Order: sequence, then C-alpha cells, then structure tokens
Amino acid sequence: MAEKPRLKLPKEAKKGDVIEIKTLMPHIMESGQRKDKDGKTIPRKIINKFTAEFNGKPVFSANLDPAIAANPYLQFSAKVEESGTFKFTWTDDDGTVISAEEKITVS
Amino acid sequence: MTRAGMWAGSAAIALIVAGAFAVVAAGSRANAQANKREAPLETKDAASVQPWKRYAGWPARDESKYNTLGHLATAPAPTAPRPVGNQVIGDAANGGKLVADRNRGGSCLACHVMGQAGNADLPGNAAPDLSEIGNAGRTDEWLFNYVYDARVYNPETIMPPWGSHGFFTDPEINDIVAFLKTLKSPAVFKTALDDPNKRPAPVEKRDNLDAIENPAMWAVEKAQELWNLKSASGFSCNTCHSEPQATFKTWAASMPKWEPRLDKVLGVEEFVARHAKATTGAAWLMETDENRALSVYLHFLANGAPIAIDTSSAEAKAAIERGKVLSARKVGQLNMACTDCHGKAANHWIRGQWLGDPKGQYDHFPTWRTSLLAIWDIRQRFQWCQVNIRADELPPDAKEYGDLELYLAAQNEGLKLSVPGIRH
Repeated sequence: MAEKPRLKLPKEAKKGDVIEIKTLMPHIMESGQRKDKDGKTIPRKIINKFTAEFNGKPVFSANLDPAIAANPYLQFSAKVEESGTFKFTWTDDDGTVISAEEKITVS
Repeated sequence: MTRAGMWAGSAAIALIVAGAFAVVAAGSRANAQANKREAPLETKDAASVQPWKRYAGWPARDESKYNTLGHLATAPAPTAPRPVGNQVIGDAANGGKLVADRNRGGSCLACHVMGQAGNADLPGNAAPDLSEIGNAGRTDEWLFNYVYDARVYNPETIMPPWGSHGFFTDPEINDIVAFLKTLKSPAVFKTALDDPNKRPAPVEKRDNLDAIENPAMWAVEKAQELWNLKSASGFSCNTCHSEPQATFKTWAASMPKWEPRLDKVLGVEEFVARHAKATTGAAWLMETDENRALSVYLHFLANGAPIAIDTSSAEAKAAIERGKVLSARKVGQLNMACTDCHGKAANHWIRGQWLGDPKGQYDHFPTWRTSLLAIWDIRQRFQWCQVNIRADELPPDAKEYGDLELYLAAQNEGLKLSVPGIRH
C-alpha cells in the first residue's frame, strides 16, 4: 500500500455548514473469491475499516467487507461548528493503518 | 609518479571536469540546448519487448490464416454462391441459439435485430433488421450463401464470412436458415433500451481530470516522480527539461510525427521509450507502466491544445495515405476493416457497444478503462481492435500502427486534448 489516499473537502466553511467529504483509497480490495489461472484462490486483502474524526471526535466510520470494489470511494457529510482538523484512517487486513489529515477554517 | 599514475590522475581530473560540466549544464542552459538540438533517440533496439507476446488474459487464438495490418494471408473470397438447393432443412430452435451465441465471434445479434432470437438482449443495428426476413421472398439457397459468405452477393459487405472462415459448419448454417425462415413479424423488445434504434448514444460526463473520479490521474503524479528519478548515469528527464509545464505545452498535440532516423511515424509512447534510452538510459519500453505514465503526463501537459500535426510534408502525406489504406484492409477471421465499424457502421450499435466516428476517438488517449482498471494508450487500443476481430495484433511499435495513428490523428485535427480520458 504505497499509494496515498485522495481527499476532497472544502478548506473553509461557515459555522453550522454541512460539508461534503469525498475520500478515495487506492487499494486492490482483493475479495478472496477470485482464483488465479492455476485454480488457486487469491488470498483476501482489503481495507476493512475506515474512520473519520474531527478534532479528535468521531464523525463517521465504516466496516468494509469484500463486496466493496477496488479503490474504495467513501463520501459522507459532516456538520462543522469550529475550525480544526479532520483525521481519516484506513485499516488493511494485515493491520497496516494509513492516515491522512486535512484542516478546515470555520468562520 | 608512474605513467599509469599520471594517466589515472588526468582521467580523474577529466571526470571531475565532466561532472562539473554536467552540473552546470542542468538548468536553463540545458533547456535551451534541448530545445535547439534534435532529440536523441535509440535507433538500434526495438521500443517494445522482443519478441512481442500477447497480453495475459487476452484471447490466445491462432489467426495466422488471416490478414493482419502487417501482412496478407486471407484466402480470396469465393466468386460464386454454393449450389445447396432450396430444401434447406435445419433445426430452427438451435438456429435461434446460434445467432445469439457471443462465443461465435459476436453472433448475428451483434449487428442484426432478429425478433426474439435466443431471448437475448441489446441487439445491434449495424445491419438490417431481420425480424421479417422469413417474409422477404428469399430462397433457401440465397439465405444459406448469405450466411456462408455474403461477399458473393455484396463484395462491399461488412458481414463476416461465417461459413468460409469457419465460424459455423454447414449443418449449423442450415439451422440458422431454418430459424431465419421463422422470422415473420416485427421485433417486440423486452425493454426500451433493447431497441437499438431508440437506444440513446452514450455520452461521457465524468470529470476525467479529477483524481478522485479518474485513477489515471495518479499516473500524472507518478510520471513527475519518474521525471526526477536519476538513472545510473546520474541524469533524469529533469536534467535537461526542468520546466516541463512550459516546454511541453503543445508538444503532445503535434504528435505523432514522421521520424527520418527510423523511417517510421513515432507516437508519444515510442518516442518516450527511445528518447529515455538514449539520454538518461532509462528502459521505459512501450506498454510498461512507466511508459504509460509518461505518455499520460506528456499529453496532460498539452491539455486544451488543439491536435495540430504535420500533414503537409511529403513524408507525412505518404504515411497518411498508407494509414488510410490500412484502415480499409480486411483483417482477421471476422474479416473486418477499421472503416467497417468506424465508417460504414459508425453511429450504430454493435450489440451493446456504440461505434464512433474516427473523429473523437483519439483526443482522450491514453485513457483509463474502468472495466479493466487499467490505462490504455492508443497502440494497445489498436491491438485490442485486432484481437477482438480475431486478427493477430502487431507489436505496439509496428510501423503500420504509426501510419494508422497518423491517419487517425489527421482526422482529429483541431480537437483539444483532454488526457487522461475515462471510458468503460
């Protein structure tokens, strides 16, 4: 997982605004159902959990199952009342956690 | 000091001086030099893997009996219909299955609406609706021979020679004829989309330059890393081209181009492979991830620039003429030419796929393919067109593909680049 997550959210907002956050994690999301050309099952390897926090408080999280396609795209809304930092994490089956942060100024 | 020692000493000094010169050469002076000189190109070795091996996962058929864009092999068309008599007896139910069978080179429904044939969906309309062919007053012999090899009735046909090229046996064609004779009323479509004459042409609305929408945009970043990556020789693209956004603002829109040192047309991908090899030493052969990323990047830098290639020099005119001839050559077991689908049948449906005019089929390459999670450049697109109509593809750096690409680019003059594209 050398790829970096892609994020799209506003840099500024007014207090009380509901903003849209788009996230994309490049990842093969191998379901564990496919077989290679010799008939051997390709082992499962997916992002199984996504979390979003704002200033340390949970905003949105999701448990992902093998049905989610490659490069999982998760879009959700958040109501912002103060300036701060969004922190996003993606957890791979092998335990690796990738995280990213984005600041937002709320006036 | 010994003579060997002195020699080593002066060699060392020469190296240091050369190294210093290289450092000084980096930056604007090298940029100016790069702009004025002819671009160094690897001219000895091939620009693709030798020998060329078809991509993994692509159908592995032996089509050596049929034309490719590189050589002719197909047996000539029959000159007269076969005398089979007018008592063709066959199993109409089996015929109804055969005309819908996608494994038989696409099936008849790829081009023809045929009533309720095989309960199949999304018939095409590249060819006449045959739902009432049973009432059209055609003899059994005519129907048999039209399926066996339509060229005996229409030498300009785009219909594959289903019999003479071995897709269906004689008994199977009998079954198809028996089925055709049952078609006596207009088709009733299961859904609105099934009627190809009412199906709306697809329009690509996705934002192809949004990195969240189009994974091919990640190649733009990857390419910038490669741009700065120093090879064993200590040079990178950046050594001579430190301002790519300015330098290559329109370059990709002027490609492909005739290259006299190689006696062929070079597209961006082949140029990258040969130029990298001859300068930094990087081995970025065509159809590698690195080559594709750089092709995406170099096109991306020229986004918005109208395609403006050389079409007036003698060499360009000759190449375009060759490309035009190649685009009309029938290739493969299905015996089709580029101009069959992207000319005679343009703006019609082949099964569930829309056939476009050549204009508009080039300005978005290289493109992301959502169905394959892969970036395809124009050469791989050419290769798939061939394999899909059961012809052997050529290596990506084949000179014929260069001529064809130049001809295609000429038909796209004026269209603005928007790369990477995003398509199914």
